[in-house]
Amino acid sequence: MSSFFQVYAENWSDWWPQLVPAMWNTVALTASSYLLAVVLGIILALGKLSKNRVVRALCKGYIEFVRGIPALVILFLLYFGLLPLGIVFDPFTAAVIGLGMNQGGYMAEVFRGGIEALHKGQREAALAVGMTPFEAYRHIIIPQAIRIVLPPLLNMLISLLKDTSICSLIAAPELMLRAKDIAAMAFRPMHIYLLVGVLYFMMAWPLSMITRRVEAHMRRGRRSTA
Amino acid sequence: VIQTSRVRAVRFLVDVYVEIFRGIPALTLLFILYFGLAYSRIRIESVPAAILGLGLVGGAILTEVFRSGFEALHHGQREAALAVGMTPIMAMRYIILPQAVRITLPPIGNYAIGLLKDTAIVSAIAAPEIMFYARNLVTSTFETTIIYVLVAILYFCLSFPLARIVGRLEERRRSWQ
Repeated sequence: MSSFFQVYAENWSDWWPQLVPAMWNTVALTASSYLLAVVLGIILALGKLSKNRVVRALCKGYIEFVRGIPALVILFLLYFGLLPLGIVFDPFTAAVIGLGMNQGGYMAEVFRGGIEALHKGQREAALAVGMTPFEAYRHIIIPQAIRIVLPPLLNMLISLLKDTSICSLIAAPELMLRAKDIAAMAFRPMHIYLLVGVLYFMMAWPLSMITRRVEAHMRRGRRSTA
Repeated sequence: VIQTSRVRAVRFLVDVYVEIFRGIPALTLLFILYFGLAYSRIRIESVPAAILGLGLVGGAILTEVFRSGFEALHHGQREAALAVGMTPIMAMRYIILPQAVRITLPPIGNYAIGLLKDTAIVSAIAAPEIMFYARNLVTSTFETTIIYVLVAILYFCLSFPLARIVGRLEERRRSWQ
């Protein structure tokens, strides 16, 4: 057992400087694809609730399809599949777009659920007191929807963080790819992958703690208003 | 089931298991099992490694699903069952489980869909599934676009019926609530 840890002690100065920037890349990848997913999700959710039938069908089709295929397939399509058509992404961009497109589909459902959970009367009342539809969204619907939507959104951030690991398969420069490189050079796969597992856990755990807090907080809030 | 247990040590161990496996990516776990253990001379074939890895992660997710299912039931249910003379096991068997199963069925279905799609990453440890064959085909034919579009359609054909069934279940649940 002690020799197991000794490997870490010996290689720490070599591995750590490589893993830290990779971790930041993972964080950057998570953040940018999350942002894209949120924007896409809002657009799709509004599209799915729109009165225009074509828009609704398009958004619905997109959501169903994206939720039906693995993120990895989207990544491969974007990165390798578009090459013959002369569209070349660098791995990081492909990863952001791919994960963003994938999570956007899920986000859309979360947002739609949040908006639909509000009673229709809310919107009607807002319109009745003379708000424009846009004002109704801005001041009445969205502030309330956010309370419903926030916990699932945070949960999705956690799963997105873990999903970034599959971007290593299209050679996006993140934690898992670096780990593979080091493992290939050092012939210490067990040590590296365990360490990386711990690193992912250290990133995900605080997030899940925060999520639990927010969940409890929101539940309390809803009960008191009910 | 165990997470609602009253024995603190048991509960603590399960908590730790759930937190750990929800906190690390499935891909990392697969690599630990497949490449990591191989180094310590424990050789696992890719398919068992894939099943074990995805199963360990899934177990943690489903634990949370079941726990919320049990917690959604009012604890009066259990107390009432005990009050009419049922043993705790009988109460679990006849009162709690049948109701909890109904509540948890839709999330379990959703998880099944998620798992179906997660199997794609198993291609990274060379387990022979759709994605793995697709990558092999691509390297021999260079028809990347067509093959990956086809794969996407295949996955969709697999998961869409599942999604429909889950949707039905959810509707039924809403209707009797």
